[in-house]
Amino acid sequence: MSGPRDITFTLNGRPAAATVKPGETLVDVLTNQFDLTGARESCAQGLCGCCTVLVDGDAVSGCLYMAWFADGAEINTIEGLADGNTLHPIQEAFLEAGAFQCGFCTPGFILMTKKLLEAHPDPDDDVIRHFLVGNLCRCAAYPEIVAAVKLAARRLRDAG
Amino acid sequence: MKNFDLEEPESLAEALALLDEDDSAVRPIGGGTALMLMMKAQFFEPTRLVSLRKVGGALGGIDLSEDGSSLRVGAGTTFTQLQQSPLVQKHLPVIGRVMKTLANVRVRNVATVGGNLAHGDPHLDLPPVWMALDAAVDVVGPSGERRLAVADLFQGYYETSLADGEVITALYAPLVEDRRAAYAKVTTRASHDWPALGVAVSLVPDGDVIADIRIVLGAALDMPTRLTAAENVLRGQPAGDDLLATAGETAAEEVDIESDHRGSAGYKNHLLKIYLGRVVRELMGR
Repeated sequence: MSGPRDITFTLNGRPAAATVKPGETLVDVLTNQFDLTGARESCAQGLCGCCTVLVDGDAVSGCLYMAWFADGAEINTIEGLADGNTLHPIQEAFLEAGAFQCGFCTPGFILMTKKLLEAHPDPDDDVIRHFLVGNLCRCAAYPEIVAAVKLAARRLRDAG
Repeated sequence: MKNFDLEEPESLAEALALLDEDDSAVRPIGGGTALMLMMKAQFFEPTRLVSLRKVGGALGGIDLSEDGSSLRVGAGTTFTQLQQSPLVQKHLPVIGRVMKTLANVRVRNVATVGGNLAHGDPHLDLPPVWMALDAAVDVVGPSGERRLAVADLFQGYYETSLADGEVITALYAPLVEDRRAAYAKVTTRASHDWPALGVAVSLVPDGDVIADIRIVLGAALDMPTRLTAAENVLRGQPAGDDLLATAGETAAEEVDIESDHRGSAGYKNHLLKIYLGRVVRELMGR
């Protein structure tokens, strides 16, 4: 029976390697081996979106994603979104709209918003709420989050 | 988690060779969203997982049969692929509507059609819908290939007729002219809860008359269950309010729903009567 195995992948644009135990989740590997704490396990069941990570461009729940499956993949986390010290327009929009209180869920919301706006550049309330239905904000900043998504959408469209 | 081995074969033949017909701790894994929950809870402790995600062709694709009479969905198809398929949107629009309340984008990006069926969880939304559509699956294992109705796949609570060492390779949904289908998911607290019950109905209308109908109850019993007595009340009849009320009573009588933390038996029987009527009315355009 095999124990840990070595995997290599691209992490926020840079080559990365990790030794991963059987059944270890992607969010645990990112936290424990790379000190990336933006994706964090909260509900542990894929419901809340706090552990959102992009794998080959698709959003997944890092708490249910076996890290072994990340071998050879392109992984992107919230930590790779800003360009140096310049925040991504979605991050700016969340700040300006005050779309959080404690901020625990914010990385997941921002990564999901990135995917949302790639698919729907000009989303209405229904589209936004439906796409983000699997992200929970226990501070209930939902009205501000919807406003932030619209603000980000407008800025990204204007930037063309 | 205890140590286990992960194999990622690149062909179906290799995958079958890595499975073990005598060991239930050796399991195929699709997207793993359901199995990971069981493994994290130490409810399932595998010795070997055989990942199907690199198998490719044999488990992939969504194709219309040559005569247009059925749609084949590869078992490795993710829910997102299913949802975005133009063929599914055109021929099985009910699937797109079910997806709107099924888990979330992240889970749909990973979970697969085959894994969802093989899991045998009675609370899942798609299995009763596939049953209402009279879908079948192809299963391959050490003793060869067989096709069985999705209805015959489920044997009880998390129990299926799949033998150890067998893999679902594809689902076939027959396409019936003028058939309409809908699914009502009823959650009793938050919308993302497991449903207290789900009602999947497909029917063929002939004017005001229900020419044919299939009704499948999900979530409220140990497995998705066809409600044939209620179907018999409605088949060949105009869908009037009195008849729908009788069908609801019949549906509640032909199954033995138990109380749990999603609702009492009485409450769920009431929901069944109400939602069966609503779904049939919606499909009959009333």
